[in-house]
Amino acid sequence: MTRRIAVIFAVLLVIALGLSIYAWYLKRKVARDEQLAAQQQSAAPAANGPPTPVTLFVASDSDATLRKSQMNVALPEEQSERARAVLRALFGAYLQSPSPHPIGAGADVRDVYLLGDDTAVVDTNSAFADKHPSGVLAEELTVASIIATLNANDGKIARVKILVNGQERETLAGHADLQRFYLASNIGQVVKDLQ
Amino acid sequence: MTFGLGRSRYSLGVLSAVILPATVLLAAVFLHHVILDAQTPSSTQITVYSPQTTYSVPLLDIKGQSYVGLVEVLEPLGSVDARPDGKKYKLHFTAAGGNPVEAQFTDGKDKAKVRGENYKLSANFVLQNGRGYVPLATATNLLAKLLSVQTEFHPAGRRLFVGTGVERFTLELRQGNPSRLLIGFPSAVNPTIATEPGRVRFTFRREPVVAAGADNVTYNDPLITGASFSEHDGIAELDITGTAPLMANFADNGQTIIVTGAPGPPPPVAEQPPAPATQSAPNATAPTPQARQPAAPRFLVLIDPAHGGNDIGAAISPSLPEKDVVMALARRVLRELASRGIAAGLLRTSDATISLDQRAVSANAARPALYVTLHAANTGRGVHVFTALLPAANVSPQSFLPWDTAQAAFLDLSGTVAGSVAAELDARKLPNATLLAPLRPMNNIAAPAIAVEIAPPSDKVDDIASASYQDQVAQSIAAGIAAVRAKLPEVRP
Repeated sequence: MTRRIAVIFAVLLVIALGLSIYAWYLKRKVARDEQLAAQQQSAAPAANGPPTPVTLFVASDSDATLRKSQMNVALPEEQSERARAVLRALFGAYLQSPSPHPIGAGADVRDVYLLGDDTAVVDTNSAFADKHPSGVLAEELTVASIIATLNANDGKIARVKILVNGQERETLAGHADLQRFYLASNIGQVVKDLQ
Repeated sequence: MTFGLGRSRYSLGVLSAVILPATVLLAAVFLHHVILDAQTPSSTQITVYSPQTTYSVPLLDIKGQSYVGLVEVLEPLGSVDARPDGKKYKLHFTAAGGNPVEAQFTDGKDKAKVRGENYKLSANFVLQNGRGYVPLATATNLLAKLLSVQTEFHPAGRRLFVGTGVERFTLELRQGNPSRLLIGFPSAVNPTIATEPGRVRFTFRREPVVAAGADNVTYNDPLITGASFSEHDGIAELDITGTAPLMANFADNGQTIIVTGAPGPPPPVAEQPPAPATQSAPNATAPTPQARQPAAPRFLVLIDPAHGGNDIGAAISPSLPEKDVVMALARRVLRELASRGIAAGLLRTSDATISLDQRAVSANAARPALYVTLHAANTGRGVHVFTALLPAANVSPQSFLPWDTAQAAFLDLSGTVAGSVAAELDARKLPNATLLAPLRPMNNIAAPAIAVEIAPPSDKVDDIASASYQDQVAQSIAAGIAAVRAKLPEVRP
């Protein structure tokens, strides 16, 4: 009797284990699909327009600098779309391999909203913040390069706020403050220090 | 369809309807217990009292036994270099002002070598995620052997006394109108005091105090009726009970606390003549009661080891989280400041999760003369010293300060400290840069504030935790602060 019960219990235990593993697999799959869907949703069609020289402030981790560089980018007519295209070019520089300043794989700019005459709200995707390397300097280089690049290509943009997936976040990856509006004039001093 | 089960015969329907769900449920409960409970550390901790400092260390529950991290216990007491090597765990420890000691443990074994001699643990040594854990039951004796000092553990109170005698307080009831209870301590104390009608409670979080006599004392007095001492969860509490509202005054430079009736409603008049006190301290000298004066301004440096608990910060390497690197550095800075005669404290003394807002609130409540937050990263090289990235504001530090920009009023002084620390880093030939950073909670700190982020000194990222590198950085920070101490105003607590 005891042996039969033990066998039945063992079989059922194996079934329960199998179900647990399958449930875990399903949970992972759902999370992966949701992330993929969010990325696909945020992926915008490539910008149309004539290639135009733009200024990028590209960060470099090896020597902790922000360097000005020129690049030709296809820019659309609409002002906020132009700002977004410029930032996507900047992200492209960071996402290439080898990267001077790696950011999370799949990081993207979902939208740039221009408010009034002088304010830009940059909406990034989850991958940008979730996978960003953590560190005071690493995060500061990213934030400063975004703001300096926006200001360099549209001098009217004097205030910048960065959102993640449409939401305000406390910090980028544990350090850089994302709850505030950054002043381009303030970042100018950082850029100068990082030259 | 039926099948035999001993003498009884059960149908498959019964099996599938009752036994199957029950077994699945049991299996789920079992799995949950085994998988989750075995890995989740308990939230308990012990408080360690040593001549240098008082700190808390979390306890890990492993197979029903309390374990404590070796590095966590030893780090505040000296220089620790601990490295796992396969199943072995090699520990090099040098107590402040002492000689180096070596010990070796093996994962899953209760036999160890300490100072070249065989040593038996009360249970198997555990190596988890590159950290070594010893059973709490052995920790007291092991520490005594490693440090060559006396240790004493109070298991009920989770208080471990290392190399320092416990401080025994005495009680002396002086009957009169109103009666006064004098509580005498060997050195000054600073307990948290809570009062409620007929009771005053002193909570000692940092002082190694214990009762000289019985833990519970009853007085035959019309005002003060008893005193009760207890230890739990790493703290000590002394409850004084009375028949009317009580108040406490400090005297004798904080070495005596006087409990007596609070002004206001008069204490009840005794119907019987007062009887002698049931306990008095032998040879106790009568302290001179003085009302406690407002505390004098003092110079306190508050060190904030960033992150902690669930927030590990940057992963310097798979087994080296930022929270651990900065904790070790913070303790070195604390020692270096103490050696220069500068009072300093840690905002976090254990692996606790503290939000950014909580850090700012705690820091501002401590009213430091300087706030230093420590970070570590695996990008770049050398040391970066940051001050807050805020627009300069012409605001007096004494005026109302907006939460988001409280630091703006202190930027000049913060810059002075950052420059001084950078100069000391230069003097030690450590590559460094001084920068502005949008770092929280620095913006919310109402005191001069800097952040220091260390990166590995070489291509080997683990070198960021090396004692020699961290000592050099800690010395630079402490020397930089000492050099500008005169420029930083003292603050009244």
